[in-house]
Amino acid sequence: MTAESGSRLNRGYNMNNITVKIKIDNEFKYFEYDGDLNIPVTTLLERLDWPIEYSCSCLQGLCGACAMVINSAPKLACKTFLKDEIMVTKYNQISIEPLSKFPVIKDLKVDRSVLYDAMKDCSLWLQSDARIGEDIDFEYEMSLCLMCGCCMEACPNYGIDDFVGTPVAVYASKLINQETSHDHLKELTNNYKEKFYPTCVKSIACEDICPMGISTQRAISKMNRNSVWKIWHLIR
Amino acid sequence: MSKIIVVGAGIAGLTAAIKASESGVPVNLISPDFSERSQSVMAMGGINASLNTKGENDSVKQHFEDTMNSGCWINDENAVWKLTSNAPKIISWLERLGTSFTRDEKGNVDLRYFGGQKKQRTAYAGARTGKQIVTSLVNECRKKEAEGHVKRFTPFRFVSLIFTDEKECCGVNCINENTGEIKSFTGDAVILATGGFNNLFGRTSGSIHNDGYATAKAFTQGVELANLEMIQYHPTTVKTPVKRMLITEAARGEGGKLFILKDGKPWYFMKEWYPEQAELMPRDVVSRSIYKASDAGRKEVYLDITHLDEKTIKEKLDEVYDVCMTYLNLNPIEEPIPIYPGIHYFMGGIRTDENHKTNINGLYAAGECSCQYHGANRLGGNSLLGAIHGGCIAAENAILENPQGKIISDIVSPDRYEDNRTADIMNKSMGIYRSEDELNNALMELDKINEDNALILLARACIISALERKESRGAHQRIDYPQSNEEFKKSTCVRYDGRIRVSFK
Repeated sequence: MTAESGSRLNRGYNMNNITVKIKIDNEFKYFEYDGDLNIPVTTLLERLDWPIEYSCSCLQGLCGACAMVINSAPKLACKTFLKDEIMVTKYNQISIEPLSKFPVIKDLKVDRSVLYDAMKDCSLWLQSDARIGEDIDFEYEMSLCLMCGCCMEACPNYGIDDFVGTPVAVYASKLINQETSHDHLKELTNNYKEKFYPTCVKSIACEDICPMGISTQRAISKMNRNSVWKIWHLIR
Repeated sequence: MSKIIVVGAGIAGLTAAIKASESGVPVNLISPDFSERSQSVMAMGGINASLNTKGENDSVKQHFEDTMNSGCWINDENAVWKLTSNAPKIISWLERLGTSFTRDEKGNVDLRYFGGQKKQRTAYAGARTGKQIVTSLVNECRKKEAEGHVKRFTPFRFVSLIFTDEKECCGVNCINENTGEIKSFTGDAVILATGGFNNLFGRTSGSIHNDGYATAKAFTQGVELANLEMIQYHPTTVKTPVKRMLITEAARGEGGKLFILKDGKPWYFMKEWYPEQAELMPRDVVSRSIYKASDAGRKEVYLDITHLDEKTIKEKLDEVYDVCMTYLNLNPIEEPIPIYPGIHYFMGGIRTDENHKTNINGLYAAGECSCQYHGANRLGGNSLLGAIHGGCIAAENAILENPQGKIISDIVSPDRYEDNRTADIMNKSMGIYRSEDELNNALMELDKINEDNALILLARACIISALERKESRGAHQRIDYPQSNEEFKKSTCVRYDGRIRVSFK
């Protein structure tokens, strides 16, 4: 169609032969890939001569569907380029596994509906009209959460008890900024205190791993202050 | 009133579910994946409303006129009037739901310039307006779920419509994508909010979920479609190893310029050809201009934002920055972006009246799958608006339905189709410029595929619509009929009864 940037795309990257390890039914299956390394993992999966199931929708890092464990770290497959993976460039291999904290449906596809159930259990909505102007930048950032589950993969405590997971803190921290109903604010903070606070060990691994760069630490500290440590205000 | 079935959980589907449940009607909200995965989250630029907070004397009337002019007056005037009148109320509804719109120095929802509109009218939330709106609608819908008014079914993908013996639509068959189980959902009315038919063209800038199957299947079941030939080529898409990705119109709204190198110097062809609105002409005009200026893509065309300050790029256009850095290895702060038009939006689809009702009793459509507000060319910022407004109107009317007939249950298995031959044929014949020869050729090529499949039938209907519209209007440009013709100031309607029938209404 056009003479545009074909040459640019390949600039500086060699074609390479790599071994692709994919965990299917708890066992690694091996594939060979011989081609351009300037492609993301989703494109790699399409190019293998074997149909692999995985979730995807936007293919450009906006929807969170394709989160998987790539070379031992949870990442969005569509934004993870082979050329940027040290295992690929140094050792000519890549390993791809489904997220381990959620039930596998097939191949790399997992069922993350438990995250949504948790959000419902924690009453994550507004009962009143939103208050406007508290801290819009913060609210915007918290609304970027993709519900991809990468943070839960990195969390040392997710999977223990009924821990609801980081998205609850992220969404709740936005909602308590906006909620004006006293009763619902109490419900939000009580749910947090009961279902999030006791199990979170504040490792904050979630912040380092979040593909959207959301400051989960700010969310958690805000929620801790508002729901757990608020009592100190009364004593003073 | 027993129940409303909403298919699709993007912005239109979520809105329809929320609005229907507000009237106390139970809703089944069915989608192949969670709302976070819907194409709606990919909408960057913004949502139009004549809030008139910039001292420019903006009004509903001007928003209406810009929408009609851009649509070349084949969009329904009554419906567009309602849409544009409702826009300011929609923004305040979204604010109440907690959407984090970007604010101006006075604390008002900020507005920016967008193509085809001379006033600042496009409200936005950073660089991710769609995502921010989805987040607030999901929260609201979650409340309705907890209250027991909305029941969500995921991952169920549409298979076919269910009718009564009085030919009323009263439900859908769906397939559970994880288990393969076919499940029927029945109620008093169905609202389809299933998006555009991206898959007919292979990889487009949108989501792969929006494969067009629902529209195609509904067509085979007697649902009338309209304006299928009206396909929007977004002027600025980039070629990446994955697919063509969109560079939001906001890049031009914030001051981005298009140029081609001529004798080693940038030639700003839009400024030369359209001195007043330049890069902010409607999308169809910009795409055609790029086509002409670049000699049909033989010369590289650039979108230049290097003169904007870094803060604007990193905050208001952060998605542009991100796409360029990640998928092009190009820093748009330092280098111009090579672009070319790419398929982005389907103005046509399921034919609906101003109440969002289709030709079938009990069946409604909203969002991109419905043909309603955009005529021959959609304004940037009107799709999110149309999706939300459409969801509201469809819900308002669907809850009044009360089917009389008895349900005919016929479980059918889905005829999935994945073959890029159709995409090749469609891309070749349904480009920015079309001709009778190419279109006829495409029909012959489609015949060769020789498979009984809804999507191929939809492809045929698109091409036949393009053949029958013997004029050039908006996104439909015929080399052999370069002028617009008053006779065709109507919608191209297609229906299927064993044969594809075309009429202009």
